[in-house]
Amino acid sequence: MSAASSPKSVRIAVGLLAPVLLLAWWQLQATAGDARSLAFAPLGSVGAAFVEQVESGALVFDAVATLSRSLFGLIIGGGIGIALGVATGLSRPLDRLLGPLLHGVRQVPLMGWLPLLGLWIGAGEGSQLVIVCLSAFFPAMLNTHAGVANVETRLLEVGRIYGFTPLQRFRRILLPAAMPMILTGLTQALAFTWIAAIGTEILLGTGGGLGVTLQNAQMQQRMDLILVTILVTAVIGFAVNQLFLALRHHLLRWQPKSL
Amino acid sequence: MSVHVRPTAAPQNIAQPGRGALTISGMRKSYAINGEQRLVLDGIDLAVRPGEFVSIVGASGCGKSTLLRLIVGLEDDYAGEIRLDGERVVTTSLDRGIVFQDHRLFPWMTLEENIELALLNTNVPKTRRAQIVAEHIALVNLTGFEKAYPHQLSGGMAQRAAIARALVTEPKLLLLDEPLGALDALTRVHVQAELQRIWMAQRSTMIMVTHDVEEALYLGDRVIVMAPNPGRIRRIVDVDLPHPRDRASPLLHRLKDEILAELTAAPSEANLVRFPVRES
Repeated sequence: MSAASSPKSVRIAVGLLAPVLLLAWWQLQATAGDARSLAFAPLGSVGAAFVEQVESGALVFDAVATLSRSLFGLIIGGGIGIALGVATGLSRPLDRLLGPLLHGVRQVPLMGWLPLLGLWIGAGEGSQLVIVCLSAFFPAMLNTHAGVANVETRLLEVGRIYGFTPLQRFRRILLPAAMPMILTGLTQALAFTWIAAIGTEILLGTGGGLGVTLQNAQMQQRMDLILVTILVTAVIGFAVNQLFLALRHHLLRWQPKSL
Repeated sequence: MSVHVRPTAAPQNIAQPGRGALTISGMRKSYAINGEQRLVLDGIDLAVRPGEFVSIVGASGCGKSTLLRLIVGLEDDYAGEIRLDGERVVTTSLDRGIVFQDHRLFPWMTLEENIELALLNTNVPKTRRAQIVAEHIALVNLTGFEKAYPHQLSGGMAQRAAIARALVTEPKLLLLDEPLGALDALTRVHVQAELQRIWMAQRSTMIMVTHDVEEALYLGDRVIVMAPNPGRIRRIVDVDLPHPRDRASPLLHRLKDEILAELTAAPSEANLVRFPVRES
């Protein structure tokens, strides 16, 4: 890859090219007159809406609400997913017992749980959090399971040679060997919780958040506010993902660069 | 994993209290393949003296690696006896070390962490471990690479690191399963010399499986020639030359020709692969 060797500033400039062109096209549509000016809010009013949202504190409130739902889902749902992935990866009987159930449940789309949850615990914060947790659970569990179940015998034998206890075997062989897969699962889980958090906010519209603002903006026909919220959603999602990639890079620093 | 220690009731052939005397008697091993028992090792009798270097050569499939896996305790379930200093081999033990053909270093640990993990379950005091690890890294000429990850080492360096990891516990018996098989010819010659130097310094018992007859003769006090189907000892060759050895020695060359002739000779009736007779 030649892009990898070019200086960072050049890479950033290249990456910004497409979004800037897209915004320019948008602005052209907005200022073209005729019916299109109704469908495309000019960037000036989008900027004004951004300032308005920042000054009222609504933007920070929404971002924090959505981010904390995502993070809650990642920690609780992802944590349970990793634990269950390890357990089923290590124990064949447990895998046989729970595997079919889990793979069946996985086929139900996330939002498919909303009616059931709505009747059980109401269409509020509780249901949102359950869905967000569920969105993190499956990628975390499936990848962890694959990582733990496929640890190479040749490395496990080294543990036997040096008389490792089960705990040493887990901490020094199984966990680090499965770590690339666990982190892959968490990276997916992170994206899914972000999607699930905003999705449930749009559908249920309770408790504040970027999705709630999107929903309200549609009802008020605030095209500028919709665009600001979408941009903020994209930028935060992108930034969190980059942060996570850096963490992954650090944790897997033992891997050759080509991987 | 607990280490089973069963005291011997009757004294065996060589049950001296010495370090690293291995006796194998009447040992057989078979695997079930597709429901059929297949004998891989038959009637293995061998006594290895403490401090001796024994090389094992033989065609592929003659059970050389299985023999080492049995001695190190990664496989049990065999008939006959394998005893180290009189104790029957049941499972793995820190008394018996092994170097595999692939280095098997943990990719997520640095060189020094990889070597130190061998000391995890020894009674070496924690305060002394770093020093012992450093000594063994120096022993295999890898000083300066302590913080390197395995993927940053060359094949020869990684294999030397694996040798250091196997030696750091000071096993009574070190098994080497084609440890240099994956190295290029030049690196191989270099690590062979290094292995000889290490063995002369440590004087622990070593058994090395190899495909390379020259390597077997260069390092071994004795060379065991094995025959396949089922794996058994065909011949034991004494290499009566002091260490360190000269590769150009006429004796080594004469023995090499002899062993190669033996290994490549047309199989006698008894050595032919016997296919199970099926009635149709």
